[in-house]
Formats: sequence, structure tokens, C-alpha cells
Amino acid sequence: MSYTLDFSAVIERLPELLLAALATIGLALAGMSLATVIGVLGVVARRSRFKLLRGLVIGFVEVIRNTPFLVQIFFIFFALPQLGVRLNPTVTAIIALALNGGAYAIEIIRGGVDAIPKGQIEAGLALGLHRGQIFRHVILKPALRTVYPSLTSQFVMLTLTTSVCTSIAAYELTSVAQKIEADTFRSFEVYFSITLLYLVISSLMMGVFALISRISFNYPVK
Amino acid sequence: MTQTRTTIRRRRAFVALAAATAALGLMPLAAQAGTVAEAKAKGTVVIGIQGDNAPWGFVNSSGVQDGLDADIGKAFADYLGVKAQFVPLAVANRIPALMTGKVDVLFATMGMTAERAKTIQYSKPYAGNVLSVYGPKDKKIGGYDDLKGVAVGVPKSSAMDTAISAGAKSANILRFDDDAANIQALLSGQVEVVGGNQFYGDRLNTAAPDKYEPKFDLTTLYNGAGTRPGEKDWNETINAFLDKIKADGELAKIYDKWMKREVPKFPEQLPDIPFTAQ
Amino acid sequence: MASIGPNELFFLAQGLKWTLALTLIGFVGGGIFGLIVALARTAESAALRRVTTGYIAVFQGTPLLMQLFVVYYGVALIGLNIDAWLAVAIAFTLHASAFLGEIWRGGIQAVPKGQTEAAKALGLHYVSTMKDVVLPQAFKISLPATIGFLVQLIKGTSLAAIVGFVELSRAGQIVSNQTFRPLTVFAIVGLAYFLICWPLSLWGARTERRLQTATR
Repeated sequence: MSYTLDFSAVIERLPELLLAALATIGLALAGMSLATVIGVLGVVARRSRFKLLRGLVIGFVEVIRNTPFLVQIFFIFFALPQLGVRLNPTVTAIIALALNGGAYAIEIIRGGVDAIPKGQIEAGLALGLHRGQIFRHVILKPALRTVYPSLTSQFVMLTLTTSVCTSIAAYELTSVAQKIEADTFRSFEVYFSITLLYLVISSLMMGVFALISRISFNYPVK
Repeated sequence: MTQTRTTIRRRRAFVALAAATAALGLMPLAAQAGTVAEAKAKGTVVIGIQGDNAPWGFVNSSGVQDGLDADIGKAFADYLGVKAQFVPLAVANRIPALMTGKVDVLFATMGMTAERAKTIQYSKPYAGNVLSVYGPKDKKIGGYDDLKGVAVGVPKSSAMDTAISAGAKSANILRFDDDAANIQALLSGQVEVVGGNQFYGDRLNTAAPDKYEPKFDLTTLYNGAGTRPGEKDWNETINAFLDKIKADGELAKIYDKWMKREVPKFPEQLPDIPFTAQ
Repeated sequence: MASIGPNELFFLAQGLKWTLALTLIGFVGGGIFGLIVALARTAESAALRRVTTGYIAVFQGTPLLMQLFVVYYGVALIGLNIDAWLAVAIAFTLHASAFLGEIWRGGIQAVPKGQTEAAKALGLHYVSTMKDVVLPQAFKISLPATIGFLVQLIKGTSLAAIVGFVELSRAGQIVSNQTFRPLTVFAIVGLAYFLICWPLSLWGARTERRLQTATR
């Protein structure tokens, strides 16, 4: 028998897919924002005087970076209710994305912070800035700028990771695609089109990140 | 500089994808599919089966295919005088696996629905499955109307999904990868009720004694073997095989082993679901 | 309530076996094709460079899960009748070849140009220049990133679960459903991944530090 490609099922339900693509972007943006917050707070905690706090951050980063996202999201969704914590699929997805992205963000930002020359901090101290001011202006801002490319490419990967959230029945592009596939049995056509849509989303994301970089870092480096 | 390079790279990615699409579109795509004669010559029949839907079809702890569908598959291979090669499939990919020629035939707990019959060729039914909505005893659910705004779990691409999606439009339906995840979602309290088959009752009762019960029946779904449409040889062979095991008591034996109940009375015909290839 | 006994642990171990097998296939297959991709990416021919750039961008710009789905359903459409696990293996090989190709491209380009020129001046041809001069150094430079990707790949094999493949993650889901102890089961599954990935991550970090001190 021969199999003829037929994309009409995909075209017919394009509005549904585009709406789901927006949900995917929403999940990704929420995850990224929280991941950035976790990243900065994690770096602060990682530099703390308290050994326990430093240990906790290191443990968190290592556990998240060395286990699959799928297992993490299963754990939050299926296992945490056993401890009395019950979150709906969307909230679970955002938290899982934030924790996952956050662990990588801590490592990336820390790399940038470590690269700040000691002399710069000493100069800050000499100028009479207090610890908070030094961290914010002398350490964090230049560090974020250095790590911006790595951080944003990590965030594009996080955007692609949202597809895994279909496993806990979260509303996003992949789960809607699977529903359409189930209704029409046009598996290849559906997944091929969705892949293309993801490529558009990740390209858009990279374009916006590049634009932000051009606008906000548009001052001389040295 | 890096930005421009990225943009160019992206553009090339699209060109590459577009070229691939065009190439695929131009090709008359021929999926490979064996005939009965070819399977006999090869000495193996490739059977699609569910990988984790006990007692229908599952992989037992020694990693071997087991269950009602596996036993029927083995009996079918014996009937043909060949070896059975099982391909474990999930709910969502069993029909594509058949259509793309990855398997010769599906004994994959394939509920017979008119919608699916448009895509695949069913055999005569060989098993029955009562689908119901299951929920906690203290929750009053009497029919589709009571599902309004309720979080209902169903396995992706299942007949429960189809029935509840059509019957309770305002239910909050959550679609999980499989029965395992669906049951887990109910036990974890992530959904209030689930759509499930006749074995959900036992499984839920083992997990949480006396907590859940069947609320109302969605439909009785008969399972048939699936083959590609137009392939008369497979369809006729399977129907002849099913007639034989129904007559000589082999089906009753297998049914008793796995379902622990009698073989149901099968309908002579189902609306919009032909049992024989035209 | 069923408990987690030897049978369940054995089932998880079976899943782990498939996780490792998939990783191995993806890494070896991806390594071979990745080398070709890296060489094409740094070739003199502009057409070769363009094609491989597009190839890499597609795989890096789309979710691994979609790549699995497309290859899974796509291979059969182009006339190949293959096992499910082989389709998954092909998908991981393609995925890994794009990522490893890009990592090694970076390594190749980090080798100072003067070395290639010197090799040319000595009369070495392309194969010899690459094999004896450029690649050994490029691999050394890329080692930390290569190990990092290996960890990504091990974790990535978990997505084969969504296509219906019983590897460690899906085995965990099945056992959790049979025993109704999701907390314990997913903790065990997570620990298994961690015990495999963590030593690799540490090794990667160490090689990176060593490389930095060496170049400083």
C-alpha cells in the first residue's frame, strides 16, 4: 500500500495549534523569569558565610543537573501529593521549568561572577560602597552581561523542554498536537508541522534575545 | 557579529527543513507491508501489542510479552505455523505503527470504534471491555452532567477520551500518556475522577481499599484485531482463526486465564464497523 | 498495598539496561556522524558548510521529543520497516551527531590556524593534517563539553518513554503504578540517573579546570 502525505488535518486545526504555541511561550517565559530569580538568589546563597546554605545550593544544582527533567516533573506531579503538596499541571510545569532552568542559571551566573576581577571589588570598597551595592553594581550587572549569551541559549533549551510537560497533561503545544494526532491518525504530518512550529518559536526567542542584547548592552565594554 | 551569524544559521535551518518537506511531498510514499504469504515465508508474524496494559498485553517481570493479547497472538502464530514477534506499543502509537508497516497485525487491546474503522480494518471482535467513570465513593457522579468543571483523567487517544470528550464538553479533561499515569493521577488526587476500563476497579481497590467505585458506564467496547485496510489476506486469515478458537474453546481458556470471566456474547455486527475487508 | 521487592527492582534494572544501551548507541553513532558533521562544518566547500549549519540548527532549535516522534513515524514512511527501538536509536544518533558536530567544530576552530598552515607547508595532505595534527588537539579542547553532552544524552533517553519505550523512566512509572508508591519509586529512579550522571559531571568539571590551568 502507499501512504500519501496529507496536511489538511493540520491546516484545519491551525488556530488550535497557534493558541497552544502561545501557551508554550507563556510557560517558557514564566519558567525563565523564575529561573533568573533562582539563579541570582542561588549565587548570593552560594557566596554566603553559612556552610549549610552553600551546601544546600550545591546539592540542589547537582541533583537537578544530573537527573532528567521528565523524572523531576513526575516527582512534583505524582509524588509530592503523597506529602500533601498538590499542584495543577500548569503550576507544576512552571515550577519544574523554573527549578530546572534555575539550577543551570546558578552555575552560569556564578561563572560570570567568578570572572569579575578582584581589583574591581576592591575599587568598589575604596569608593565606600557597602556590600549590597557592590554585589548589585560591581559584581552582578557586569556578570549578567558576560553570561548573557550562555544564559539565553540555556533559556532557548528550556523553551524546547516545555514539550515534556505533555506527560503531566499540561496545556501546551505538544499535548494539543497529540490530541490532534489521536483524532486524525496523521502522526507524521502532525509531528513534522509541530517541529517546524517549535523551530519558529526558538528562532523568535533567539531573535528577541539578540535584540534585547543590542538595546540594553549598547554601551562600550571597557 | 554572532547575532548575524545566528540569523543566517536559522534561515538555513528553515531552508533545510523546507527542502526536506518538498522532497517528502514529491515522493509517492510506500510503506513496507508484508502479506500473509510473505510472513509465512519469513517464518514470523510481527504482532503489535500493548506494552503495559495488564492483563491485556504487558511485559512481565522477566521482560517477556504476556497477557490475553499475547496469548491470542501466540495462538495466531501457531495457527499460521510461524513464530510470533511482538512489538510493544503504547496507546498513542499503535495505529501509526500498523499504518506505517511496522507491524503486520495489531492485537493491542484495540477497542472497535467507528472513527478508527475509517482508518484501519477490524476483524471480528474477540474480547469485550466495559468502560466506566471511576471516582471516590463520597463524590456524587451519576452521569455526564455531573462532570461539569470536574477534573477528569483519561489515557491519551483512548476510547474513554473520545466518549467523555463528546459526552461532557464542559469537563476539565486531562490526557495522560497511559493507564499507569492516569490511575496515578487519580490516586495522587490530581484528578477527581478517571475514565477507565473494567480493570480499573480492581487496581484502584488494591491501591486504596474501599475508596473508589465505578460511577457510570460509558460504553462497552469490543476489541478486534487491526490490519491495514484493503489487505484482504490478513483480515480473512484472522477472522478464520478467531472463528476457530471461539468454536474449539481455546478463546474461553485464554479468557478465563486472564479475564477471570466468561467470554462475552459478541454482536454479529456493529454500526459502521465492518468486520471483513471489502 | 504491594511493596517494592526484588521483582520491582529487577524490572527497574531492566529499564536501566535500555537507558544505557540507548545512550551507548546514541553516543557511538552520534560520535561517528558527529565527526563527519564537524569536518563538513569546517570544510573549505561553502555548500558543505551551509548544509551542516542547517542540519545543526534544526536539531538544536527543536525539542528532542519532537525529533523522536518525527523520526519514529518518518522512517517507516520512507520505506524502512524497522523496529521501534531501532527508530529511537536512529533519532538519538541524529540528535547526538548534530550536538557533537557543533561541539567538535568549536574544538577544531580553536586549534590555532598556524598549525594547519604549518602542516600544509610540511606537505601533509588533508587526512593526515586532520588525523595527526588538528583532531587530537580539538578533542582535548572539546572534552569537557563532550562529557557535558553525554550527561545530556543519558537524561534525554528518558524521553523515549513518551514514545512508549520501556527504559528507566517508564519502568519507574509502571512500577509506581503497580506498587502505588510514587515517592519511593521516583526517588529510586532519580537516584539511579544521578549515580550515573554525577560522576561524569564531576569528571567533566575536572577536565575543564585542568584545561584552563593548562592554557593559562
